[in-house]
Amino acid sequence: MTNFPIAIPRAWRRTIAASVLLSCLFFAGGCKTSDDAAAAATQLTATAKSLTDYYSALDTILAETDQLNEVQVVLYEIPYDTPTKAMIADTRAEIQKREALAKGLTDLAQSFAKLTGSTASTDASASAAKLETEVESLKPIKFKMSSEEQNGMKIAIGLVVTAIQEHKEREAARGISQFATALDGFFAKEALDYESIGKDYAVISSSLAKSLLQNGQTDPSGYFKVTLDPYGLIPEVTDTKLRGKLEKLAEGQVDQKAQALQDSQKSATDDMEKSLKQMSDRIKLVADDKPMEVRIPPVTLANVEKWASEFSTLIP
Amino acid sequence: MQSALAELETTYFTLQSHIGPLLAACQTQAQRDALTTQYVAARSAYWSCVNKAFHDDDPAVIALTTQLDAANDQLKKAVQELGNIKTTIDNITQVVTIGASLAAKVIAV
Repeated sequence: MTNFPIAIPRAWRRTIAASVLLSCLFFAGGCKTSDDAAAAATQLTATAKSLTDYYSALDTILAETDQLNEVQVVLYEIPYDTPTKAMIADTRAEIQKREALAKGLTDLAQSFAKLTGSTASTDASASAAKLETEVESLKPIKFKMSSEEQNGMKIAIGLVVTAIQEHKEREAARGISQFATALDGFFAKEALDYESIGKDYAVISSSLAKSLLQNGQTDPSGYFKVTLDPYGLIPEVTDTKLRGKLEKLAEGQVDQKAQALQDSQKSATDDMEKSLKQMSDRIKLVADDKPMEVRIPPVTLANVEKWASEFSTLIP
Repeated sequence: MQSALAELETTYFTLQSHIGPLLAACQTQAQRDALTTQYVAARSAYWSCVNKAFHDDDPAVIALTTQLDAANDQLKKAVQELGNIKTTIDNITQVVTIGASLAAKVIAV
């Protein structure tokens, strides 16, 4: 399979194309909106979508972690205590709120892009009201967002909606910039917690996989598929010595994969943080009426999408 | 020294990574029960802290984190060598107890 490291997923391309189209409709309208603002709206839409996918992947990881703890009850007879189960469920609920917040930002960015559409002001109001509720629902003590930061985000949302309703591009950009800066700071503060959630998943899953391997509870014959598939033969390893060799090999691969899971999440988290920062800086340029030269979404988003897609096929 | 979260991670993840061999080394049900109790406590301390805000600058948290850091080094060595299982469980109990104190302090701050 050909792999293009900077290839943009189809769904993402569609999102970008839709935003560009909407932006064009907007800029063809009566209000004076620059190309920079159009590009910023498109890029913000793509960034917010990646942030939504990042949180969605974390949500899946937490759901899997919950199940892995259940598996340990059967495999090791280790009790899965109710308070821990509740804390994992609560953490999952908080991650889902962040996912909703990122989705709200995507909606607002889209409203910003289609400012002159007949329902744009109404859409912006609805998006902003939703976003405000989502900011309000976050638990600041638990998740490190101070009440000042939370208020700052709410003020920014208010500024955005008023500016969009009044078709004031710079003011809307200023509000979005303020919101994006707060969101970037918020994400950075919680990044280590996000990575820790992923590490926990990698450690438990690899520990259980190795235990099953060591106790002869897996069928390692799949390693010979590559040899036998072309001839329509099905592998069946009966030799104990050969099984032992394969199990040892599989153990090494489990360790490598567990490390790769942690490394890829760290890299995706770093890249998400960089993308949010870049977006915040670019929108600030629009707000300050300075030229924004970069016309494509942050390239680091591709890595975030790649990591998030690894978890899209697991349980929701 | 790492952060409070990182130290609690180390305790819990070290136990999680070696839980199979540790349980297999237990010779009595009492030892298995003691080990699973410590494991559950380490996991609980870890999740309590993921779920709460951290205040790493608090002096009491810094002192406990330093203590846990040193204990974690011993724990890693003990589970890797896996000599006398009774001594290993005692070692685990000591580390998990410090971890539980740290988690309680972090949550209370």
